[in-house]
Amino acid sequence: MSQQAPEVPEELAALARERDFPLDLVRRALALGFAPAAIRAQILRGISPQQAEEFIVQQERLRAGEDVSVPDDVAQMARRRRWPRELIQRALRAGLRMEEVRAMLEAGLRFDQAERLIIIRERAQERQRESPEQRQRRQELAWMNVRTEWGVRVRPGKKGLTLGSLNVGSYGDVPDYWPYQTEMPRGAQHNPGAPSMGYTIYEKAELWADNAADLYEEAIQRQWKPATAIPWDEIEPLPEPQERALAQLCTYLCQNALVCSDVIGKWLKEMSYGYHEVKVYMATAGYDYARHFDVFRKRAYLNGIGMGRQSPGYYLRVIKDARRWTETSTVMFIFNNSFVMHLCQVGYYTAGSPGDALIFRLAMQDLARQTAYGVKHLQYFLMRKPECREEVHTYLQRAEALFAYEDDKDRTLAEALMVLLGGGLGQEELKRGWALLDYFRRRWLRDYLQRLAAAGVPERRERLFPYLRQWSPQPAAAR
Amino acid sequence: MSQETATVRATFPSLEWFQALKEIVNGQEAYRRIGTCDTTMGIKIPDLQKFYVVTFEAFEVAEVREATEDEVEDCDFWLEAPYARWKEMLENIKANGKADLQHTLNTLDLEDPEGFARSHDGLRRDAFYRFNQSLQFFFDASAAIETVFVQ
Repeated sequence: MSQQAPEVPEELAALARERDFPLDLVRRALALGFAPAAIRAQILRGISPQQAEEFIVQQERLRAGEDVSVPDDVAQMARRRRWPRELIQRALRAGLRMEEVRAMLEAGLRFDQAERLIIIRERAQERQRESPEQRQRRQELAWMNVRTEWGVRVRPGKKGLTLGSLNVGSYGDVPDYWPYQTEMPRGAQHNPGAPSMGYTIYEKAELWADNAADLYEEAIQRQWKPATAIPWDEIEPLPEPQERALAQLCTYLCQNALVCSDVIGKWLKEMSYGYHEVKVYMATAGYDYARHFDVFRKRAYLNGIGMGRQSPGYYLRVIKDARRWTETSTVMFIFNNSFVMHLCQVGYYTAGSPGDALIFRLAMQDLARQTAYGVKHLQYFLMRKPECREEVHTYLQRAEALFAYEDDKDRTLAEALMVLLGGGLGQEELKRGWALLDYFRRRWLRDYLQRLAAAGVPERRERLFPYLRQWSPQPAAAR
Repeated sequence: MSQETATVRATFPSLEWFQALKEIVNGQEAYRRIGTCDTTMGIKIPDLQKFYVVTFEAFEVAEVREATEDEVEDCDFWLEAPYARWKEMLENIKANGKADLQHTLNTLDLEDPEGFARSHDGLRRDAFYRFNQSLQFFFDASAAIETVFVQ
């Protein structure tokens, strides 16, 4: 507060005298920076000297850096509405009275809605206090006065300047609930005029994985280009039955990748910007699947075969139809990716050239990275929502059951794998192919269950859908 | 991958052999171009009771060291095979300049019912797949070592 009492404009002094409003309170209000017009408006509205005294004392304490005590009922309502603790003090500093804060809470305002009102008050307050020079600068360069955390510096590490390394200071605060419905990047100043973008995921537990930022960097760093990374000229055709079987496998992988790519696209627009680590990682995962579609389509065409038969895709519908991201992620990144990884293992094992082996190795790198997100997300989700454990089993049960139905009703893929693994169409070759397929499926089940165990669902081993139990024991030798 | 580094002579298995491999890999731009690799890989040769830990960090092999069996099993994953299998793989790499299809890490893993790459954790084991190209590069680089085998 200024030591020297400010002069009260004559018109305001006359109004105060007329309404029996103490001039001392007017002077103190002016000293706090309130504009004469604002004080006049309050007097005309009939504010009592006692109310004005309480408000001015509160403002003087806040300006002196002290916190104002918050009544229990207001504090409780703020907690229930998930308002950050400092928001009430900020509201009071912006000139709102405790009664007004209480009214905002009683009206059910969310944190972001209340903050918008507070920002408007703060701006009005600042404008009341600013000099003509400041006013001119504000009007010219308004964006320079945003209330974000400035002065943050990050240094590149061994991996360069990574996304995760930016999470310092207030920028490292990833809230459990993201209150903004707009496309505002985390850490920026909210623009009250920005329209809602219609996201539906605002809760950290619904999408978070602690490794998302690192996986994003890994995906960017380890990306590969199907057109040039594969030595296409050096891939000799396999004998015709195996080449046809490989084309059928590639057709299946193309279809699977397209579905996954679509599904990620569908969910990306549901994820709010408070969790950009997951959003940007998912963008790379969608790109991974597009690349897989590309590389497997090229391989199917390479030696004169082309695409094979479409899969019925029954269990892929489970991924498409999932209504919660955690269900999508669990079924797509853990169940489906484990299955596709095993298909790539068959592809690798039966590769006739280093080029074919490279295709499957690179695809497996991407799939394993996506699985790492799926496992860490499910781990986080169950840690935050242990009551949803049974729901997770329902997701898995549906996927496993529909996979079983598809595998039982449509033998196209299994037969193609048998031909590839057996090395031909003869009886002995098919027999060998059958035995090896059984071996690879046991590996698949083992890896799938181990990933679920890592995610915190070890009991799935006992609850596996009956059809899949035929492969659940230890695998036998491949040689 | 072609190996143009001056030949180093070292005995397998030994810390010196892994250190030589680390130096070769860290000197190769082609390794960096694969992308970042962050994992700890154990090496287990049970019949010789030899154990090592290799730490990959960002664009380099950060550390190789001798370890205990427990330390190896505490890695993201470990590669486990009898000495003869390791020797066969390294001889194949030396003969071809890199592993042929029958001797890549993936093939050795797929042929072993227990897996060549093992872990106590299903998520951490996936590092074997996630960084497979880098790991294969690491072992393929041993073509530049004049390896002396202990048996």
